[in-house]
Amino acid sequence: MNVKSPDEIPNKEYKEALLSLLYQLADDDFILAYRGSEWLGLAPHIEEDVAFSSINQDTMGHATMYYQMLEELGEGSQDSLAHARPSHERRNAILLEEVNGQGNYLEEPRYDWAFTVVRHYFYSVAKKVRIDSLKNSSYEPLAQLAIKINTELYYHLLHWKTWFMQLVNAGGEASVKMREAVKRVMDEFQGVLTLGPTGKEMAVMGLIEDEENLKKRWELSLQPVFQSTNLAFPPTTAMKKGNGRKGEHTADLDQALSTLSEVYNSDPAATW
Amino acid sequence: MSDKGQNFYQEFEVFSKRSDGAPMQHQFSLLAPNHELAMVMAQENFMRREPVADIWVVKRSDLRMMTPEERESVKRLDNKDYRNAKGYGYLKKKWRQYEQEMLDEKEIMSWGELVKKK
Amino acid sequence: MSLQMTEEEHMARFMKKIENDEKIEADDWMPDEYRNALIKLISMHGISEIMGALPEKEWVPKAPSLRRKLGIMAKVQDEMGHGQLLLRVAEDLMKPYGKTREHIMRDLFSGDLKFHNVFHMEAPTWGDAGLIGWLVDGAAIISQTNMLGASYGPYARALKRICAEEVFHAQHGEAIIMALAEGTDEQKALVQDAVNRWWEALLMFFGPADAKTTGSSKQDITIKYKIRTKTNEQLRQDFFTKYVPRMLSLGLTLPDETMYYDEEQKLWVYKQPDWSRFKEIIRNNGPKSKERLRLRELSYDNNAWVREALSPSGRVG
Repeated sequence: MNVKSPDEIPNKEYKEALLSLLYQLADDDFILAYRGSEWLGLAPHIEEDVAFSSINQDTMGHATMYYQMLEELGEGSQDSLAHARPSHERRNAILLEEVNGQGNYLEEPRYDWAFTVVRHYFYSVAKKVRIDSLKNSSYEPLAQLAIKINTELYYHLLHWKTWFMQLVNAGGEASVKMREAVKRVMDEFQGVLTLGPTGKEMAVMGLIEDEENLKKRWELSLQPVFQSTNLAFPPTTAMKKGNGRKGEHTADLDQALSTLSEVYNSDPAATW
Repeated sequence: MSDKGQNFYQEFEVFSKRSDGAPMQHQFSLLAPNHELAMVMAQENFMRREPVADIWVVKRSDLRMMTPEERESVKRLDNKDYRNAKGYGYLKKKWRQYEQEMLDEKEIMSWGELVKKK
Repeated sequence: MSLQMTEEEHMARFMKKIENDEKIEADDWMPDEYRNALIKLISMHGISEIMGALPEKEWVPKAPSLRRKLGIMAKVQDEMGHGQLLLRVAEDLMKPYGKTREHIMRDLFSGDLKFHNVFHMEAPTWGDAGLIGWLVDGAAIISQTNMLGASYGPYARALKRICAEEVFHAQHGEAIIMALAEGTDEQKALVQDAVNRWWEALLMFFGPADAKTTGSSKQDITIKYKIRTKTNEQLRQDFFTKYVPRMLSLGLTLPDETMYYDEEQKLWVYKQPDWSRFKEIIRNNGPKSKERLRLRELSYDNNAWVREALSPSGRVG
């Protein structure tokens, strides 16, 4: 099956599965790009601050392209999709909405670089696996978009893998912090890997491969990394705080959304 | 102030080329604890708005640079036209006598373009 | 083999280079006065870029459209990048004194390193976000382009990169302001309000006209050594010439009702800002100064483990 445009969507079930997938992809990138951008000016090293910012822009750019695709499917304007939807309508994984560390980013932020490195690295690997699968999506516009997005992932992976390996292998306090961060990320990573309640339909309709295969590939991608750093394999993932794909979210997301939509909500009809 | 972490800040020089056929050019310097991180930092710090085909990072301490005195003495005498086109400009008039055009630098370098067009 | 020269001979050689518009490089002989003026100027410039990123970044999440979010992210990234370029230049100048980036950061937190007064001001509305890009960056461009021919090579080269990127910053700011100026009454009020609050800070951006106003002025040294060509007042006048007509064209009123252009003298006549506030703000007593410094200091300390973990041990080349 090959669906070339919104007009060729065969039936309601296909559309629902497609929308479900697109919301996950868009919301994941959007919220993580936001969390990443909170590090601006605060990274451990100025040169890293600059490099990390490119990754956040790329990721926000990907979210924008997904929201645009949703707009073309009649879901509303990309800006309203990004800014106006409340928590229970969001489909991102809970791990990605979590704050960077204790404290609000304007007052006394104690951002955790170890958590940030692990979260971004593991997510980049999962994203790469998903994008590779999406290149063969039955929804052609999405397949084309995946090819585009893929070109930027090489740098993201190189960047995060380098930080991850160097910090894990540094010994001492760094190794301890990194191991704690890995455990914390694993406790919620199933939330990223799951495709949610309509995962089976997505696979049946050829939109993306099934969840089990994608997860296996993610594990295999990380296997050599885990081996070289003496971390246990295969990793056990969970989603202890809930399933974001079902609209279950935490106070961290509420806080994020209120900031994100502040000016937009002051006059949703205005041009900015 | 703690001494630990001081070695984190090492100087690296960054070079890049815009396209395959272009020469490597010096861009700027950055601080990083090792080559791998320097490489990861390089492109986004200095070349984020231009095309990049290749990047080198070199530890500044590995560069043998000139001293200010050496820079002063690097000038040459301008008495060497035996080895550049300037010394052979008189041939243009000679060839005209034989009703031929001079094969000068511009002409010869244009031959490369004809070959490419195939 | 090095040439043995007296201080006087070095100085004569050096001034000859300056006169001939030759570039001075990091390892060239230079008088202490030149080195110290550059260190002060460039490190202040660099840290100002980095500290300037903090009020702006507050608008990344709040920016009301995806496109504006991306624009601000890119702008703030450039500012961190500019800070990086300038700090590198300053660090190479400080090497003979045994100072490194670590020292710069500590001097910043302790208050020994001053940064530009405009970055101490609050940015409470979307109008401020636009105004910063439009007029604050506009002022920065005027100041920076004046130094593109600076005698100190590394600084001139850094400024070339910086000015090229500032073009987009100015246009990004203009885009925000234009949308507001052409929008609803509330949006128009946002711009006027921001202009009213930023006016004094903008006037003070270029520094005092002479030492009488605040007790000191570095401009004489920087002009003598061809680091810059115009005086503080000339730059401020350039700013007025470029921006006042544009402000008026968008229907904005100038916060200074006494201001006018004197055709005979070819000068803008305006009310002086309260320069006593300038000194206080420079001394880190501006409204948001302490908060922002604290943010950076906390982050720097919290992340010390990262730098310590990756520092190679043993002899370093």
